[in-house]
Amino acid sequence: MLALAWKNLIRRPLRTLLTVTGLAVALALLVSIISFGEGYQRGLRRELDAMGMQMMLVPLGCPYDAAARVLKGRSLDSSLPESALDAARSDPDVALAAPIFAATMPRPAEGRTDLWVGVDETAQRMRPWWKLTAGSSFFQGEDSVLLGSEAAATELRKPGDRFYSPETGRSFRVCGVLERSGTSDDSQFFVPLATAQAMFKQPGRLTGIAIRLKDPARLKDASDRLQQVKGAQVVTVTEMIGVFLNLVGAARALIMAIAVITITISALSVFNTIMAGALERGREIGILRAIGFSRTDIFRLVAVESLALSLLGGALGTILAVIAGGMVESLARSYLPLASEVNLPPLTLSAVMQCLLLVLIVGLTAGCYPAYHASRQSPAQALRGD
Amino acid sequence: MIGQGSIVRAENLRKIYRRGAEDVVAVDNVSFEVAPGEFLAIVGPSGAGKSTLLQLIGVMDNPTSGKMSIAGSEVSGLSDAARTRLRRETIGFVFQHFGLLPTLTVAENIGLPLLLSRERSRDRVEFLLERVGLAHRRNHRPAELSGGEMQRVAIARALVNQPRFLLADEPTGNLDSVNSAAILRLFQELRQDGLTIIAVTHNEEFARSADRRLTLRDGKVVS
Repeated sequence: MLALAWKNLIRRPLRTLLTVTGLAVALALLVSIISFGEGYQRGLRRELDAMGMQMMLVPLGCPYDAAARVLKGRSLDSSLPESALDAARSDPDVALAAPIFAATMPRPAEGRTDLWVGVDETAQRMRPWWKLTAGSSFFQGEDSVLLGSEAAATELRKPGDRFYSPETGRSFRVCGVLERSGTSDDSQFFVPLATAQAMFKQPGRLTGIAIRLKDPARLKDASDRLQQVKGAQVVTVTEMIGVFLNLVGAARALIMAIAVITITISALSVFNTIMAGALERGREIGILRAIGFSRTDIFRLVAVESLALSLLGGALGTILAVIAGGMVESLARSYLPLASEVNLPPLTLSAVMQCLLLVLIVGLTAGCYPAYHASRQSPAQALRGD
Repeated sequence: MIGQGSIVRAENLRKIYRRGAEDVVAVDNVSFEVAPGEFLAIVGPSGAGKSTLLQLIGVMDNPTSGKMSIAGSEVSGLSDAARTRLRRETIGFVFQHFGLLPTLTVAENIGLPLLLSRERSRDRVEFLLERVGLAHRRNHRPAELSGGEMQRVAIARALVNQPRFLLADEPTGNLDSVNSAAILRLFQELRQDGLTIIAVTHNEEFARSADRRLTLRDGKVVS
């Protein structure tokens, strides 16, 4: 029966190919979206958990945008006074307060923008994933620069090399290079806090402070107190994760709606292909009925054609998702406020299973009516002329 | 009175179709029987009711009134599933347009009814390929065959389930005289092997070779 169904499908190869391709593209889109969503949530939680911080102190404005920018080392229009750091460090519940001054440096000649981040010695404690390559050390003076792995590779620098920044007219000594961590740190230039503030002419200013508490259960009390710091506001990590996941959820819902429309169109295409095939083969089906195929046999034959077509689309869609998954991931990242830099698997087993299940449902649904219609064909149809 | 040992037995068969507001009597009070091993030719002008009668004998449709029995079983009022089973197990169909599936090879077309059977006998297909003289064409597709060869494939397919009788609809209707003669010879051989054959035909030579002819006009048996 399967062989017979398959031969019917390849009778019109172009029509079958177009239908399968349409279904495959829709499926690939859906698999990629579901996979990325799952991977993104996991990566985001892993990265924020690894920092071991419970809150951030950021300038007044949109607290979540500020937190996202500070975490990813993007510059901010507004900033905090350095006195906020003193307030945070003097709070009895705060175990660690890590200041950050982040700014972007356009490099039009190279066609890129560098991210410079001013930190102090607390940065190492706040970023447990930092590992220094051989011959590296932390800052050893105001002219030290610690390069992320990608930044070092781009600038062709290793520990001990000199590094000149023509945009600021400053010369640095590369004190160290970080091993690749899969985070946004890989592409950044880390310098002492005061150096960064001086480079960008913002002495005494900060773009954010990451805060780790002695006891995470004291979050509310500490948050209430730090909320009183002038010009600053508190964003807890829980709030950030919640808001970011909502934002991601909204983006996913939009793309999912597009995918669902595409799947619906594909289902109609499957329906059209199978229905057209059943109508074209009216007399053949009549002959099958005459020689002893029951209505159930005919229904099964046409339904198998629909399922085979859909499963073929599903298989091709999964392959496409593997190939194009990276592209969807890059696209999604560019629109997300806090995209985890941890490598995300482009495909997850659960996404593939969900989509294959959907394909089965699409195949069965789209094939149902054509199969029913074909099964009602009279055997007397076999006696009719052309 | 109609005999009990008949393969096909029809008694006062009537089939009325509704066409718009009008009733059309396609088969009108037809009675006949076909004995085992008999070769019956159904003849008559176009519109005489031959195709409708063929549908009734082939258990593709139920009569409006009257009785029809196939191989001793009354078929009037049978469910669709029961009629399908009867067609599969008792009747071998040969169509004017051959009715071969273009995507299947000669051997696959012949073995098509066996798809539904638990016994998938490749030997039976090979035997029939030899029987109709197309063993050398087993892997060809219908489009690569002549009309006569296609009809021989169709006859082999009709025989694959070892039916009680062959029901043929204008088996030479789409063939030239040479191929018609070859098909007629094949039918005569099958007849000599003891197979019961009922054929609707316009071919006078074909009808002459039958044991008996049933002539229809305006839905009635006239001779």
